[in-house]
Amino acid sequence: MNEKWRLLLTGASTGATNMAIDRAVLVAHSEGLVPPTVRFYEWNPPAISIGYFQGLDEEVDLVNCRRLGVDYVRRITGGGAVFHEHELTYSIVISEMHPGIPKNIMDSYGRICGAIVKGLKNLDIDSDYKPINDIITSGKKISGNAQTRKMKTVLQHGTVLMDVDVDKMFSLLKVPNEKIKDKLIADVKDRVTSIKQILNEEISFSKAAEAMKNGFEEEFNVKLELGTLTKKEEDLVKKFEKEYFSNKEWNHKR
Amino acid sequence: MVCLFTFENMQSNSVYKVPNGKLLKIFLEYNEKNNCINIVKITGDFFAYPEEAIEIVEDKLKNTVLEKNLLFSKISSMIKENHIEFIGLNAEGLTTGILMCLK
Repeated sequence: MNEKWRLLLTGASTGATNMAIDRAVLVAHSEGLVPPTVRFYEWNPPAISIGYFQGLDEEVDLVNCRRLGVDYVRRITGGGAVFHEHELTYSIVISEMHPGIPKNIMDSYGRICGAIVKGLKNLDIDSDYKPINDIITSGKKISGNAQTRKMKTVLQHGTVLMDVDVDKMFSLLKVPNEKIKDKLIADVKDRVTSIKQILNEEISFSKAAEAMKNGFEEEFNVKLELGTLTKKEEDLVKKFEKEYFSNKEWNHKR
Repeated sequence: MVCLFTFENMQSNSVYKVPNGKLLKIFLEYNEKNNCINIVKITGDFFAYPEEAIEIVEDKLKNTVLEKNLLFSKISSMIKENHIEFIGLNAEGLTTGILMCLK
């Protein structure tokens, strides 16, 4: 019989809530309170998340974020700044000791991204994992991923682009050299794609989530069963929102 | 070699794409007279495990002489001692990024 993991569909939340949920699940799983968990979610309002090591003011145009009603949050994972608007975001929380998770970090990126590759295949999109942390289709990036390991537990979250608005993204992100901004935008338009661009049609979030759910089940040979956050996790979400992700000191720490 | 604090401080930044890696951004405050680090801030889209180790690296680089071999050796030792795993960054890239602030 297939191992049973938990599936969470938490809908659309603020940046702070989304990052707090991922961290709460990580803590709960590390304490053995919940099974391995896969979550699919969205962002409302749209948000920029920055990597743990990035400088907020260095990367994000906070004035334009406020003007356009875009939220911002620092992740506990490394990697780059991401504009979350038309996308499916996933997270997986699982013990480092689980036999399905390679000990080597790069290998584990490959394994988890394999679930997303299979999920995209379920939507008739051929793609490949491209180290360090991307998934590409027809030579263009369709998914970015970031992993942390804390308390002997792996948290990897990532995006699957449903649609992409590069001009809006660059109105919210700062670039190292303003003089080459136009070229940078043109380059990114050439290098990034979305489900909508590939399929020439919009698909619903639930259709994308179903495809990704099946992708995780196929990759890890498990059964994902729909569940909810426990009371303990909900309490941790409130705590982490307050202490970290909606806290100015955390978001501006670098 | 460790420097003593004086007041001839310079501030500088660098942006360095680590070969086969990520974009590293350095803010450096250093003493121009004795060529020592006062403050270094290491930012970018790289990965480090555990993440909090970056603050240890920044702290321990204070008062280090800005000389290639010394810096590389100190960073390499810190990575080993603190069991840090970098992805998209390495000791050589970090050394280069810091020293680029002097140009």
